[in-house]
Amino acid sequence: MAPRERRPARRGTARSAARGKGRASRSARSAARGTGRPARSAARATRRRGPRSAAERVTGLLVMLPWVMARTRVSIATMARQFDLTEAELIEDLQMAAVCGVPPYTPDALIDVFMDGGEVIAEVPLVFSRPLKLNTAELFALRVMGEAALAMPGAAADGPLATALAKLRPLMPAGADTVAVDLPKARFVKELRAAVETCERQEIDYFSPSSRARTTRAITPRRVFEDAGRWYVTADDHLSGADRVFRIDRIERVTPLGIRDEPRPLTDDDLPWFSADLPTVTLRVGPEARWIVETYPYVQRTERADGGLEVTLSVTSEHWLGRLLLRAGRSAEVLEPATYRGIGVMTARRVLARYEAGA
Amino acid sequence: MARRTPPASTRTAAVKTSQAERMLNLLALLVDRTQPLTLRQIRHELRAQYPDGDEAARAAFERDKAALREMGIPFEMKTLGGDAAGEAAYWVNRANYELGDLRLTDAEREALQLAVATVRLGAQHGDQALWKLGVERALGPRTTVVDLGLDTERTRTITDAVMQRRTLHFGYKGEIRTVDPYGMLSRSGFWYVIGHDHLRGAQRVFRVDRIEGDVRAGAAQAFARPKNFDVRAAVPTEQQMLAVGDGEITTARVLVDSTLAGGVRRDFGDGAVVCEHDSGSVEFAIPCANLGAFRSWVFAMVDGAEVLGPREIRDAVVGWLREMAGR
Repeated sequence: MAPRERRPARRGTARSAARGKGRASRSARSAARGTGRPARSAARATRRRGPRSAAERVTGLLVMLPWVMARTRVSIATMARQFDLTEAELIEDLQMAAVCGVPPYTPDALIDVFMDGGEVIAEVPLVFSRPLKLNTAELFALRVMGEAALAMPGAAADGPLATALAKLRPLMPAGADTVAVDLPKARFVKELRAAVETCERQEIDYFSPSSRARTTRAITPRRVFEDAGRWYVTADDHLSGADRVFRIDRIERVTPLGIRDEPRPLTDDDLPWFSADLPTVTLRVGPEARWIVETYPYVQRTERADGGLEVTLSVTSEHWLGRLLLRAGRSAEVLEPATYRGIGVMTARRVLARYEAGA
Repeated sequence: MARRTPPASTRTAAVKTSQAERMLNLLALLVDRTQPLTLRQIRHELRAQYPDGDEAARAAFERDKAALREMGIPFEMKTLGGDAAGEAAYWVNRANYELGDLRLTDAEREALQLAVATVRLGAQHGDQALWKLGVERALGPRTTVVDLGLDTERTRTITDAVMQRRTLHFGYKGEIRTVDPYGMLSRSGFWYVIGHDHLRGAQRVFRVDRIEGDVRAGAAQAFARPKNFDVRAAVPTEQQMLAVGDGEITTARVLVDSTLAGGVRRDFGDGAVVCEHDSGSVEFAIPCANLGAFRSWVFAMVDGAEVLGPREIRDAVVGWLREMAGR
């Protein structure tokens, strides 16, 4: 069976997103965003709506002017893209800035920024040449993002990121150092990230617990990501000829094959974790087994008055369902389909056989 | 060179200056002058950019001042004495709003750019911070992604409370909790807030996604954070959870098949290995105080693992299996 992994959260399955549901924590957010695209696009799409306020334009200029003055010349297209403005918006803002300055507003007393031959040129800094101080939210963002990047496997604890954060530390609000990020540790994250950059094909040994099988396959890694305490790699899987998501902690060996594939950036962030035609199971889940809906993607859930719930999940394999039922014990019961009702008992008997043989 | 529109000075009062343009000129003026300026002086310097009527000019000026302050510009004011007694004068000290030179190296700029490109917070503050540091945000598709999801109203309230030391009030497991939040931790896909729980009179860990309803925050500087507070140590790991419980801590001996042993060894460390068998299976000593957590952990391996002892834990496992197997 294809190594299709159970783990939904950030992306949510297409189905859970469509129904506006998903894992309680992050998938709910991606569902709210619709397609699970990077949050920034959504934020910016919102910002674009309607005319920009004076405050918005001034804030933007106070950020853009020092940035462009430090560079002297930047193409209009590049700068518009960088600041997520249309070229018309950027030109409008810069033209406004070019007539601003200090009395007596003679040419030498104006902000020296102009456009020529498709470039923005800012040669003589007069006013607004230094950037604004970082505000609390920005410092906090840098601190948390930096922390997370430092927690990534392979990050150097004394590398440039660490020294950059050390330079920012005196500016940090007092409580910022008690916000921390832990990321899971896994072998090969560093190697696979490097392979994503070079598009180099890798041979991996992959262990799939649902089939208890180990396969050797060639993959071209396309993206490495963390979700809910696990690292995953999205890759072209040359064994199945399709895109696959692999759990990195189940990869037992990675060997570069010396073949460079074409870059193929994944722009669609919403790769399906499960195909829509997988069978489903509906469980009655007691309050002690609520972890099921926090851990696995679900198609639908209904809260019950007693604190329990009914939940419908995709079933990738009977082995997976048996394992889930074994872990939940009396706190979970199969409601339908009837064909799955015996799986918990069968799994328990299989494990019991091992204990009885060893007794 | 693009043709410049005539500067403000050459315009007549009839030409309406946009608020954005006026704000930029106001800020440039105040930054440029070493002496505080009264509104009268400001109107004179900015020529016809403010409306002619005193009242309208004052209203427009107040709007500009509020907007600039909102952006973080320290727009300061003092009341003059002497000839101009009672008149307000305004100034902006650029040292109070300009970022000092952090002397970041190129490698440090690149490292920050990469960090911001890799980690998603769900808000745009990371990009804003990069621009202010003179760094470009990376525009290509993201090849590594860590999503920290701090984009909800609730997480914003909590992070602000942690930094400003505001006491929080929220519902949790059916009770209203009053908590002095000492810190926050993201681990295994969840955010935790750790703090002093007034209801229990002790330090407690709360999972943010399990908070019920709205989170309210009180006034700033409301409590002191304990010295040497260690946010990571405050939240038990999954392995520690097995050892946290009502029961006495015992150590269970668990035989794990070769296919699964590598993962267990990574989670619990080499110190947990009792012995390795020729077949490749490995015997581990696993802390066990919370039987529920232990059950969930050991059964995740289905028949790939077997509890060897002590007797009472093995019996409990066999009991669970018999109950489920209907025997």
